[in-house]
Amino acid sequence: MMTASKHVTIMSGNEAIARGALEGGIGFCASYPGTPSTEIAATLQRIAEEHDIYVEWSVNEKVALEAAAGASWAGVPALCSIKSLGLNVASDFLLNLNLSGTGKGGLVIVVCDDPRGHSSSNEQDSRFYAKAAQIPLLEPSTYQEAKDIIPYALKISQDYELPVLIRSTTRLSHSRGLVTMGEIPKRTWKAEPLVENLFNVPTPHLKHRDLLKKMDKISEVFEESLWNTLPSEKKIDVLIISSGISRRYSEDAINLLDAENIGVLNLVTTYPLPNKIVSAAISKAKQVLFSEEIDPFIEEEVRSLAVELGNIPEFHGKRNGTIPAFGEMTTDLMREAIANLRGIKFGKTKQVESDLLIPRPLTFCAGCTHRNFYWAVRKVRKRTKDKLVVAGDIGCYSLGVFYDRAMTTMQAMGSGIGVATGLGQLEQFGFDSKVIAVAGDSTFFHACIPGLINAKHKGANLTFVILDNETTAMTGFQTHPGSVHQESRLNRVKIENVVKAIEPDFFARCDATDIPKLVDLLHSTINKEGLKVLLLDSICRLEVARRELATEGVSFRIDKDLCKGDRCLICVQEFACPAISWDKVIGHPVILDQLCVQCGACVAVCPHDAIKEERTS
Amino acid sequence: MRDPFNILVAGVGGQGNLVCGRVLAEASVRSGLRPVVGDTFGASRRGGSVLTHLRIGKIDWAPLIPRGEADIILGLEPLEALRAASKFAGDRTVVIVSQTKIPTVATNGETTEYPSLERIIESLNKLCKQVIVLDAEETLTHSGSMKMLNSFILGTMGALTQNPLSLNIIREALESIFGPDSNNILAFDEGARLRQ
Repeated sequence: MMTASKHVTIMSGNEAIARGALEGGIGFCASYPGTPSTEIAATLQRIAEEHDIYVEWSVNEKVALEAAAGASWAGVPALCSIKSLGLNVASDFLLNLNLSGTGKGGLVIVVCDDPRGHSSSNEQDSRFYAKAAQIPLLEPSTYQEAKDIIPYALKISQDYELPVLIRSTTRLSHSRGLVTMGEIPKRTWKAEPLVENLFNVPTPHLKHRDLLKKMDKISEVFEESLWNTLPSEKKIDVLIISSGISRRYSEDAINLLDAENIGVLNLVTTYPLPNKIVSAAISKAKQVLFSEEIDPFIEEEVRSLAVELGNIPEFHGKRNGTIPAFGEMTTDLMREAIANLRGIKFGKTKQVESDLLIPRPLTFCAGCTHRNFYWAVRKVRKRTKDKLVVAGDIGCYSLGVFYDRAMTTMQAMGSGIGVATGLGQLEQFGFDSKVIAVAGDSTFFHACIPGLINAKHKGANLTFVILDNETTAMTGFQTHPGSVHQESRLNRVKIENVVKAIEPDFFARCDATDIPKLVDLLHSTINKEGLKVLLLDSICRLEVARRELATEGVSFRIDKDLCKGDRCLICVQEFACPAISWDKVIGHPVILDQLCVQCGACVAVCPHDAIKEERTS
Repeated sequence: MRDPFNILVAGVGGQGNLVCGRVLAEASVRSGLRPVVGDTFGASRRGGSVLTHLRIGKIDWAPLIPRGEADIILGLEPLEALRAASKFAGDRTVVIVSQTKIPTVATNGETTEYPSLERIIESLNKLCKQVIVLDAEETLTHSGSMKMLNSFILGTMGALTQNPLSLNIIREALESIFGPDSNNILAFDEGARLRQ
């Protein structure tokens, strides 16, 4: 957070949400890191001590939501901030909690969706969880609203004893603008004994009935809410109904086209839909255009509401293809949609010769030991004549899918070992590939333990490789149970001990910087029968740099007499470390000292012994 | 000033795009304007294309610059400047680009050849109103390292006339983030000197 003046500050949407949590009087925050939601809990964690609040990185999102519910039940206002896929993990509990209620404390869930899947394995619209669980949904559309919505959401949650879902998307969470701060209130709550009946049996259907009654009341509150912005224009030909950051794209497009008679109805209280506000607005318009991310969520609610109206306007959105029903919303999409509806022409940008824009592919950092592991996978795959599948998982190491297809499958947290458990049972049907499952350390704790136990119990034939760099590297080095560096009060849980307690048929540890040893160990292990687990002691070079432990006094160079130049290219093209570059002029690869982290992995990769370590002063 | 005024910083992860955005946002606030800053990058932590969008105005605008609407593009790297210009440059765009290349990484056994600087500059000239090419390497080896390129290019931008943020205010913003004794201030002054 940057200080512009005492009360006005530049904040990202996520920082604004964290500030809102303080101003709302939240005392408990539980989260699991995931882009684009991480900075909410990370910000609160940095200031936890100063503000006497409790903040934890839980082992996964389901545990985070359960922990937050526990706090709320005991009267402590709670926040649970997670990414889209995280809400999938927590949804089992959420669809019980909605019926049980959240008690007196209040519970706000913030879910950050990632349209286009910039940093996600899928693209999903998490607003449907509000409808599935029949809980209120709020979508802030500005940085200021991102802050102010949290105290409001908490109040709704406390009043109706329901979890309230707040939904942000990447561009709101990760962009920054000015926010006027409010006061942080004096604490009025303290932990109290739990209320009764915190379960749904034996009559969950009656709990459901009561939930629907609560939602009817909240619907009335939303009708009167000042959060929704009504169009100010007198004459409206096109009404844009927007939510979230899409509001800004709509306003931007109208400004660029200098278009007239276009009004914007911006909805923040998007579920339950404020029917009266929407009915009044659409009854005056000839055409309605929807501007929302990702699915036609509001569009479908409005379309079904319109069935009850006499005068139905023309609807344009994701349902009729005016706006694509996938990917991010942009000003450009809105500009095109409005221009088409209004018959406005606008200039297109010039094109560049396509061969110039060569890509910068996603790759492992220089010195990342994940590259070493996948290098070993590729070597072993050759030795097995391609009879090898690698069921992958979520983390930096997911980039294995781009590294000569060294990873075969990659879906949800923990699904690598689960998928492998199935593949490891298929020998009787003629499946003859060796099966490897891969997961990182944080992912291991998050969702791999049930899969691993299933593999042991069912006798699946597979090799589970844990790439243990001892931090949650992908999202910014959050501490997890296995991290070496634990903050005070936290107890370390060692992966090796957990794995050994499950008693795999074979277990080994290996230094992931030693490529020749890694190749041989992987090869010999996959040829053993039963459940094998390899724990690779790995290194995140960014974490090392962060802790300022980088190697000094060593550099690497390529011996031009030994290097075979463009007849080989193994180090440049196949190993593909960003710190090794092809120099066309001299006809040999060169090591880029400003990118090289002196890990020395390439020394073992070169079949001609041309990469040499040198001592520098 | 056009409202919004759009500045785009294009570079490679690790070059200091995000810091550029922070400095310019701070300078905007010091100029009594409302900045909105949006960063776009893929899942890679280092070495991927990174864009920082800065939109300055009297009100908050959308976090990403629309196609063809950049007023200034700061190219920390030639190929990334061209990639940004191909989408965001238009008739009024001024590009300031460092000529120092950062090589692309090979994947799946294929090395794509990095285009020549001449072709990149030629294309930029076709897409934009004005192209200013910087040779920062020689200057920056004296005052620090190429790690200061972001501050250097901010200095050059600060000295442009078609820019709503004054040189002094950007310098103050830089100082507020790095402190007055930082090599970044030296690099900034070097960058500004180029245009004076």
